[in-house]
Amino acid sequence: MDIDDILAEVDSHAVPPATRDLQELTRAWVTERSAPEILPWPDMLMERILERLRRQIELVEEQTGNTDPKANFRLIIIQTELERFKFLVRSFLRARIAKIDAHALHHLTDPSTKARLSPSELQYATAHTSLLHAHYHSSFLSQFPTSLQRMDDTAGGISMVEGPDVDKAVFVRALKDVEEPVYVEGTDTAFDMRRGDVVVVRWSAVREVVMAGDAELI
Amino acid sequence: MYGDHAFKLVQHAKRTQALVHLPHYQTELVRETTREVRDLDKDVSNILAPFEGSFNPSSEPATACSVLVNHLCMRRNKRCLLAYHRVRSDKLEEMCWSGKDILDQEQQAGRQGNGEGSGMASEAGNQSSLSPEEEEYIRQYGDMLAAYKGQWTDIDLTGSLEPPRDLFIDVRVLKDAGEIQTEYGAITLTKNSQFFVRQGDVERLIAQGYLQKLS
Repeated sequence: MDIDDILAEVDSHAVPPATRDLQELTRAWVTERSAPEILPWPDMLMERILERLRRQIELVEEQTGNTDPKANFRLIIIQTELERFKFLVRSFLRARIAKIDAHALHHLTDPSTKARLSPSELQYATAHTSLLHAHYHSSFLSQFPTSLQRMDDTAGGISMVEGPDVDKAVFVRALKDVEEPVYVEGTDTAFDMRRGDVVVVRWSAVREVVMAGDAELI
Repeated sequence: MYGDHAFKLVQHAKRTQALVHLPHYQTELVRETTREVRDLDKDVSNILAPFEGSFNPSSEPATACSVLVNHLCMRRNKRCLLAYHRVRSDKLEEMCWSGKDILDQEQQAGRQGNGEGSGMASEAGNQSSLSPEEEEYIRQYGDMLAAYKGQWTDIDLTGSLEPPRDLFIDVRVLKDAGEIQTEYGAITLTKNSQFFVRQGDVERLIAQGYLQKLS
């Protein structure tokens, strides 16, 4: 996915990279919060943002001793900005963690979702699941007949591992004209999305469009 | 009746979701439910024993039915147990994230209960609402969370999830919290005094109940 192209289309006038990163982060945050399943980890974006946060924290630390009122005022603005950025990143990470915790086994067993986690999230998920299993085991599972001790039974045609509800309704705004009409699976509904259109639709129907960056969740 | 204990557990779980604190661990119910599972499993093997592995469900529909019911009950009990423990561990994790020291609180509560309930059986007084397994779990979870948080030191993962409005806020001190260091020098927090401080510096203390944010 080439995000630069898309953003260039969305905002025709050039945007400085810093503003663009903020925009991307905000978008990633909103999408992560409203989408029912976990989305790919924005590797490059996070690296850039963390790097900038680190630089700004350093700057603030350097300038703290400065008693010049002008510098002081600037410092306050930088710190406010810093707090906001931190909030965005924190909320973004927490939204992901909440999703990982809700369906930990699903995320670890399904290869496509597993690939979407960042290395540290993967570590967290693995550690958390094994902790939970150990806890269940010592609490009651160890006294069960062996055939019932597994956590990922598929007996009776129903798997014990639950995944997120991909048919949840989401609000989507098209960022550009989507060429192919969007089909809603299981129904005979199909519709076109023009730039600026806002629709409420099942997440599974628009997942590809959103992941390609042609639309955003709101 | 099959499943009665499990149903009670689920009811407890449902109630737990709406509560702020964590009610006592239902050791007895959990034990009863697991015992039921073991008994059912024994029943199944007893029923199937005469067939010596060559059981054909279509020729013996009555036996097949009772085996099926037993199986379903076992699975249901397992699900209920899982749900009960999951609700509790979720709750514990939530407390962990909000920075409360659960084990410490539990011990304190236990001690208090001990003091007040001196007339009662001392066993009931110092009983923690966590099972030993849960205490162990939460200890390990706390360690793991600390490790994960350590990778995001700049962000402070457990910080407030409210969008920040102002860099500085007014706070009132509810409990003596001693002296804290900020970028602008040290402040001594004495009870009932009021300060205008940087939110980031005192967030922890607000969460722990030492300070109150004034709007």
